[in-house]
Amino acid sequence: MSPDGVGQGGGQGVGASLLRKEDARFLHGRGRYVGDIRPAGLLEVAFLRSPVAHARLLGVGKPADAEARVFTMADLAGVGGIRAASALPGFRVSEQSVLASGKLRYVGEAIAACVASSRAAAEDLAAACSLDYEELPVVSDMLTARAPGAPLIHEHWPDNAFLETQRDEDLSDLDGIAAAKVTRQLRTARQCMVPMEGRGVLAEWDPRLEQLVVTSSTQQPHIIRSGLSEVLGLDEGSIRVIAPDLGGGFGYKGILLPEEIACAWLAMRLERPVRWIEDRLEHLTANANCREHHYVVTAWADRNGRLLGAEVDATVDSGAYSSYPFSACLEAAQIGSIFPGPYTLPRFRFRTVSACTNKPPILPYRGVARTGVCYALETTMDALARQLGISPARIREVNLVPPDAMPYRNLVGKVFDSGDYPEALRRAVAHFDLDRIAARQAAGECVGFGLAVFCEQGAHGTSVYHGWGIPFVPGYEQAMARFTPDGVLEIRTGLQNHGQGMETTFAQVAHEVLGVPAARVRVVHGDTALTPYSTGTWGSRAAVMGGGAVAEACRLLGERALAIGASLLQAEPGGVEISGGAVRRRDGGAEVTLEEVARTWYRRPQNLPRGVDPGGLEVTGGYRPDPDTGTHSYACHAVVARVDTETGEVVLEDYVIVEDAGQMLNPMIVDGQVLGGLAQGVGTALYEEMPFDASGQPLAGTLADYLVPGAAELPATRIDHMETPSPWTRFGQKGIGESGAIGPPAAIVNAVNDALHRFGAEVMDLPASPARVIEALEKARAR
Amino acid sequence: MTRLPIHLTVNGEAAEVLAEPRTHLADLLRGELLLTGTHLGCEHGVCGACTVELDDAPARSCITHAGACDGARIRTIEGFAGDAVMEALRGAFTAEHALQCGYCTPGMLITARDIVLRLPDADEVRVREELSGNLCRCTGYRGIVRAVLRVLEARRALKG
Amino acid sequence: MKPAPFTYSRPADWPAAVALLGGGARPMAGGQSIGPMLNLRMAQPEGVIDLRHLPDARGVTVSGGRCRIAAGTTHAAIEDGAVPGRLGAILAGVARRIAYRPVRNRGTVGGSLAHADPAADWVAVLPAFPGDAVAVGPAGERRIPLASFVTGLLSSALRPDELLRAIELPVLPEGTRWGHWKFCRKPGEFSKATACVLAVPGEAPRAVLAALDEPPMLIPDATALIAAPEEEASRIVAALPGLDPWRAALARTALRRAVRMAGEDA
Repeated sequence: MSPDGVGQGGGQGVGASLLRKEDARFLHGRGRYVGDIRPAGLLEVAFLRSPVAHARLLGVGKPADAEARVFTMADLAGVGGIRAASALPGFRVSEQSVLASGKLRYVGEAIAACVASSRAAAEDLAAACSLDYEELPVVSDMLTARAPGAPLIHEHWPDNAFLETQRDEDLSDLDGIAAAKVTRQLRTARQCMVPMEGRGVLAEWDPRLEQLVVTSSTQQPHIIRSGLSEVLGLDEGSIRVIAPDLGGGFGYKGILLPEEIACAWLAMRLERPVRWIEDRLEHLTANANCREHHYVVTAWADRNGRLLGAEVDATVDSGAYSSYPFSACLEAAQIGSIFPGPYTLPRFRFRTVSACTNKPPILPYRGVARTGVCYALETTMDALARQLGISPARIREVNLVPPDAMPYRNLVGKVFDSGDYPEALRRAVAHFDLDRIAARQAAGECVGFGLAVFCEQGAHGTSVYHGWGIPFVPGYEQAMARFTPDGVLEIRTGLQNHGQGMETTFAQVAHEVLGVPAARVRVVHGDTALTPYSTGTWGSRAAVMGGGAVAEACRLLGERALAIGASLLQAEPGGVEISGGAVRRRDGGAEVTLEEVARTWYRRPQNLPRGVDPGGLEVTGGYRPDPDTGTHSYACHAVVARVDTETGEVVLEDYVIVEDAGQMLNPMIVDGQVLGGLAQGVGTALYEEMPFDASGQPLAGTLADYLVPGAAELPATRIDHMETPSPWTRFGQKGIGESGAIGPPAAIVNAVNDALHRFGAEVMDLPASPARVIEALEKARAR
Repeated sequence: MTRLPIHLTVNGEAAEVLAEPRTHLADLLRGELLLTGTHLGCEHGVCGACTVELDDAPARSCITHAGACDGARIRTIEGFAGDAVMEALRGAFTAEHALQCGYCTPGMLITARDIVLRLPDADEVRVREELSGNLCRCTGYRGIVRAVLRVLEARRALKG
Repeated sequence: MKPAPFTYSRPADWPAAVALLGGGARPMAGGQSIGPMLNLRMAQPEGVIDLRHLPDARGVTVSGGRCRIAAGTTHAAIEDGAVPGRLGAILAGVARRIAYRPVRNRGTVGGSLAHADPAADWVAVLPAFPGDAVAVGPAGERRIPLASFVTGLLSSALRPDELLRAIELPVLPEGTRWGHWKFCRKPGEFSKATACVLAVPGEAPRAVLAALDEPPMLIPDATALIAAPEEEASRIVAALPGLDPWRAALARTALRRAVRMAGEDA
């Protein structure tokens, strides 16, 4: 299924399933993560964290013998608060104190930094601190957050909402004309992203360079530098941010951390290296921060299943503060613009609320709002189909954007670049013997078939983000390319590679353009001192933006090399070309390798032609697709699920993904992204849930309570690729990094509900845990 | 605080370290012996990132008391040079794209090696069950499962 | 997530180990239950007494129709066949599904039982056997029937000055039928409901219902359950207080399926 080595570049270029260059260090335990770095004189930090969800903080008692090693906000002179505003009208700005000051707003909020020579000793200090606080009523649920009389989390706000957005359209006539109308109320659970490595930061002051060096497990080193500069009052030139190897990100490391700021300040104050490494308890209980949505969806269709309109009222539990840089409203406000999904929805109204609650601030997790939206929309599509008595495939087929309408602008202005959505659906369904599933159902087996079709916008840039007005707006992506004197091609990118395989795929892009063997290409990333500015790795943008930028930098470098090579070949510049890692005469005569060109520039300058570009063999190239509204990859997920009606357990028997990432840079890596996303999507669908009690306490403190899917929980999976190039990107590639995590909850719950249909039962809330399945069955039985 | 003298053989070499009695084996390996290939993922025994070989069998170094290992033989991911099974697994992990961020990989490899040696007849279902104590958040496991099966099958083919 | 400070001692013999009890020190065998609790600071003992290196800490001996499993015998040893015969086969099947192999390599049957987590496998399964826990204290050994060993959440019939030394089980004849069913959402996860049925030829069948956040419940004569598992399971579970609908469903299912498995066990 994965076409191996189909690139123009002879097995190493774009389209080749080149094995990963970065694997060797990880396979030998030589990956270098922030927790592996141990400079001399290292001090470790443990944070005293809030034990309650909402309180007035009256005082922190420092241990008598250790007052100089415990720091509260009162000590952090000159440090500002974290402000992540959005320019969307009506957005209310929260100011997050780096260490809590005045009020405590969620369990786990950092209150004091405790410094010692070991983490254990730092934890002893935190345990020895005393806290004086006055508890306040807690807002533990997003739906009651705005109820009259609800306690105010930010007291100067009129109510507990960061933002409300809406689109009005009168749908009152649809009841009269629709053949089917369904309304569903659905919820997705609050989740933890659970990268295997948590967050972590090591801060040092470099007196020689007069520079704060912050090594952080971050997806966005350049953005963190800007954020640190704003909060610490240092110019950006005096801050260097290094992102070493990261043990996973998924969005969790796309944030300016209070802990980062505190460690940076401590390193300057104490003139010692200072680090904080998040442990799993902190990850689970202090930072459960994604995915919690609530929907009320109504949809109308005619008798053929054609959608006549839809209405959605969506609330996202955004937690207590607005996170930097993505803000508290990205998730909810996005719902309005992506709810129409891959369909030609003719009429639509929505209202979204970013609710403020006494929970950790929300962050965009792989798929961002799309996972919840796909779940709400696609389960509604199935409900419509059931009411109309048509198949789930049929109702989708009549509503999907047809290929001849591409590029297609939908009613809220999203522009889909290319693709054949109905074909993805047809291919996915063709993998299954639906008659056999029906026969099993008729024989009394509790088994069902589920579908989800969706598209994923990726690499959207300035034209999309300027409207959000959040702390950064992505613009042109840059890459640097240079030859070393021995002819190694160095690529420098401000993106951060943490599993996506960029050290390989960017080498493939460079090979595609210059023909340099991938083994002779080195990709440098993750360091503001070594790389051009970038907003970093997020939003499924690296393959499109980084791929385009690397190609452009290599093209420019090639022009420089071409001029030198032509001179060495005693040819006119127009008479030579680059291919296969060499400058060749077009007339088929002599060639000179790029290594020889590099050697000439650096070590034999006497052989350079007159008028050679003195900039040499080092260039920066910039890139932005035009238009930059983003690529739309798309996929159809299809699954057969079996339900044990006695235990509520759901078993996934078979799973098929048909997806279109445009031209794949490396099909093996695309598969890896899709399968990894699938595993997280299965977690969202069936396992992962951080419950909070009414007092705002998180209830799953270990991975024995917060269940992350393992090898035994993942179904046998087939991936079928379509490859419709995007007309707007350098190679036709599309962002696909998040796609796998979007479809599974919808497809799986549709299969579960298909299985439960004969009992009259339906699961509404995620995850579809055994307890929820049994509850649904008992509810149906009681009716 | 009194420090505890601990004698170990680590990756074939004798090591003597003084550690606080509360130290767990993973912190001893990482902090005192600078063997940072052993990773901490949960520190409560569920995720498997810290799995090392302890007296010839895989063990969780994060919930194993360092002092209790006095006199033990330990092998970490840094200690498998020349081990044929480990080399085969490493090759298979790359060939099957069984790693992305690499954080779970050392523990995954040590568990995988134990599966290959202890359960030479394991099929896919058994491999998945045996891998259930090692969490990976990146790959979706397919590459890992295929890599382990690839090595198992190669060894079975060799035996004929 | 680092433990609070504690002292570590490694006694040379059992009387020395017993003498170290009291004063806030906790025994540790494989450390796979206490290890996480120490890291999470859910347990903050003054000291830890390492039992792993005691003489006869592990091993299996059979004599006079009884099988004595030293408390420090690992789950992995049992999984790999340390216990002979029919009994060994039954126990190996239980052991294989405890946590994960790296945990089983260190974790011990005695440590797990003495830890007395109602969801733990040995806690749930051992009362099915007419056997004893062998405790050792200042006055020597005493036997505690397995059916009454675990008394509550993390509490057992061991006295504060006693250690668990061994478990003694009857050797089982071929022809003994066994059914064991537990519900875990993932392999290695703690059970949410466990049932087992032991039918020794010529004896009344025994059954246990466990892992319901309470000490295991022994049904000393499970004849009625085996005869009518649907009705009896419902009756038994209906009498249990405080179960939510899902756990009640699991409990009924556990009993029925354990009965069925025992019936199919040749």
